[in-house]
Amino acid sequence: MFGLPGAGMQVRLDPLSVLFLVLLAPQMVAGALAGEARSPTYWLFALGMVLAVVAASAFTLIFGFELMSAASWLLVLKGDQKPATLYVGIAIFSAACLVPALFLPASSLAFVLIVLGAGAKAGLAPLHSWLPKAHPAPPAGVSALMSGGMIKVALSVIIREGFMTLSAAQQPWWGGVLIAAGVASVFIGALRAMLETEMKVLLACSTVEHAGLIAVGLGLALRAKAMGDANLTALGLEGALLCALAHALYKPLLFIGAGEVKHATGTASLDWLGGLMRSMPRLSGLMLLAASGMAALPLGPGFAPEFLILHAALAAAGTGGIVARIGFSALLAVLGLSAALALGAAVKLMGVGFLGRPRSLQAAAAEEPRGLALAGMALLGGLMVPLALVPAEILRLMAPVVRELAPNAGYAPLGYAPLPLLGLGLVVAVAAGFVLHRFGVRGTRAAPGWMCGFGQPPVWLPFGDPATQPTATGLAEPVARAIGRGVLPGGADPAELFVLAPLYRVHLKGVRLAEKLRRATIRERLAFIFSALVLFLLTLGLLGGG
Amino acid sequence: MMAAILPVLLAVLATMVHAALLFALAPGLMGVVSKMRAWALGRRGAPVVQPYRQLYKLLRKTTLIPETATDAYPYWPLACFLSVSVAGLLIPSFVTGMVTAPLSDFITLIGLFALARAATMLGGLETGFSFGGAGAQREALFGVFAEGALLVTILTFALIAHATTVDGIAVAFRDGHIGISVSLAFALAATLAVALTETGRIPTDNPAGHLELAMVHEAMLLEYSGRYLLLFEYAAMLRLMVWMSLIGAVFLPFWMGRAGDVLSWPLGLALWVGKLGGMAVILPLFEISSAKMRVFRVPEFLGVAMLLGALAAVFLFVAERIGS
Repeated sequence: MFGLPGAGMQVRLDPLSVLFLVLLAPQMVAGALAGEARSPTYWLFALGMVLAVVAASAFTLIFGFELMSAASWLLVLKGDQKPATLYVGIAIFSAACLVPALFLPASSLAFVLIVLGAGAKAGLAPLHSWLPKAHPAPPAGVSALMSGGMIKVALSVIIREGFMTLSAAQQPWWGGVLIAAGVASVFIGALRAMLETEMKVLLACSTVEHAGLIAVGLGLALRAKAMGDANLTALGLEGALLCALAHALYKPLLFIGAGEVKHATGTASLDWLGGLMRSMPRLSGLMLLAASGMAALPLGPGFAPEFLILHAALAAAGTGGIVARIGFSALLAVLGLSAALALGAAVKLMGVGFLGRPRSLQAAAAEEPRGLALAGMALLGGLMVPLALVPAEILRLMAPVVRELAPNAGYAPLGYAPLPLLGLGLVVAVAAGFVLHRFGVRGTRAAPGWMCGFGQPPVWLPFGDPATQPTATGLAEPVARAIGRGVLPGGADPAELFVLAPLYRVHLKGVRLAEKLRRATIRERLAFIFSALVLFLLTLGLLGGG
Repeated sequence: MMAAILPVLLAVLATMVHAALLFALAPGLMGVVSKMRAWALGRRGAPVVQPYRQLYKLLRKTTLIPETATDAYPYWPLACFLSVSVAGLLIPSFVTGMVTAPLSDFITLIGLFALARAATMLGGLETGFSFGGAGAQREALFGVFAEGALLVTILTFALIAHATTVDGIAVAFRDGHIGISVSLAFALAATLAVALTETGRIPTDNPAGHLELAMVHEAMLLEYSGRYLLLFEYAAMLRLMVWMSLIGAVFLPFWMGRAGDVLSWPLGLALWVGKLGGMAVILPLFEISSAKMRVFRVPEFLGVAMLLGALAAVFLFVAERIGS
């Protein structure tokens, strides 16, 4: 095969790469079923991801990673031109950081470059603001693979380099860097997801949150590994890897579902939807399952990872110096805030989009999606069930990965058991059902709703006036007023104001300077060359004399 | 053989007694709170058994389903009721060491409360009427701060008790010589603020309010009737009981019984009833002495709770630094 002359491509299948292949496979199938099966670019994109995950040499890794970037750029370009430019800029930046980092000896510089390069690709703050723009642009199958797969590939690079390749030089503060970047992404991602009204943008913001959550888990584990705390290392790693696995199932499902809603109704804006549970019951049921994962609700697929990461943060607050411990207390507060914000975002997605009354005729007349797309979603939904009900068994299966990354790590048992909880719930449900059935009045009767006393709607509005319904914007208004406007001035992401805008200004200045140089007159050019010559000779003379 | 099975049997028995008392007494507790409140306001008030009558009335009413509701309409009250019930089964009341003790992790409880909140919010959005949305958006705002505050407060418990299950914390606080500490006082204040918000009491919400514009929890249930409303109302009663038991188990676990020791049960039972009674007196007194807050003052109220929770942990760190 081709590759570097004399070396070729080198691949390996160790527990870590197997885990990431397992994580990528279902969403690739689901994305293909959602309408991407005939697109060669999609399969190139998938090939790049697989190569980057199984790479055993730096060249293979970079080749796979850049193949993934280039193919996904083409796919974004098909959807929308404007975010594609931003996207390619970020891709070049991450390549510029990754390529030197992979060839540097194990050192802190290499780690920082890896975090910058792969972190930009994974959407870690402060380099995340491209993600909510670029991920919703391409067709749903591609968005699914970008959100569910690509950020995991980027994080796998951080995992492989941080825990294995560079472990000779590891420092506790490396973990601190990851935690700081992660917690900022968690908060900004959850807050923006709560405030967005477009389904795919909301989901992309939630992806930023989950990438941050994984980074927090990894950071806690990396710090604990450098400090020799075996138990905490295992806890953080288990949380991060399980979160990656769960997110790789529910986020593609949500993206494909959002794409199918857009296909059926012509819009993905929540303010134009509503009542889809009535017209698309199967799709809505799957979306509800996935949304329970996104909101990290108990008995859903997303709770076990959140549980482990919160426990890791709790345990970390008992170690280290006083400043670090106060930092971990703040970390817990922010994680709590963000978990509730993520819950609000999921409730908004389901409550405004799928419950209530239709806000447009298109939403009222929507039909169930094509069988293939639904089959892909059902595949992802079915795989979520074991993750939701027997997370402890899945953690046991993942134990070799944890041991590979941290050979001295212990095994942290999971203190959350969904099956007994489900059993308790069933017992109560049966008892309640018996009482209601035996002593209650049976049956139900359909009646017009009270609707806050609004009068009968006119005949051309069979589902009532949409203006009398709560909207997605309205649902987020109290949060926007209490937190949103302070953190996101004018609705803009702080990363855009403080990272992208200054970069853009520097870029503009550079372009102007270059243009000035290009248009210099012959006199200016001669003067420049002459002064450079004088300076050169002067330096030479001074150095030679000294 | 017998000696090995006996503790398990006793634990199962204790859990069943706990479940029976929890479900039977929850409406009564709500009745006592309402009665005390009426007395404190100088009114005679409804009899203590009024909530039972209310539930029975709802049981006998026809359940109306709004025409604009989707098929998911019956599942939200069920989900809300079940998650609060499961939370109630996990939190120890009169004994520690029930069968459900290993499950009673504080983070699982936060998850169960969040599940109940999500189900109620979705129930409010179900029919697509505007008060439901108004209630849901306020609940979302309160939930954000309540969850953050509670999570920080858990840190204090985890650091002092070296356990994260409610049962483990209760055992550690009962058997260990913790003494009165500033940290726990701060944690208590933070927990009380969260409990008032979660149970929808004054100052964040008014359970007796009849003005739709000011409602939070009730606003989401306006389109529910009959047995679905019963489930929501019963869940609200259970929630009050659950939070009082939780505060009792964490902050006042003294002389709580042990599941394996039958002789310790009566004292534990008497004490539990006493704790509930005490809280049922203090809660209305607090309620009548304060006014309901504007919605946008609540984040400040809960923000103070979060700060107190964080301070509790910081005080512990500082104390440990000085002590070592």
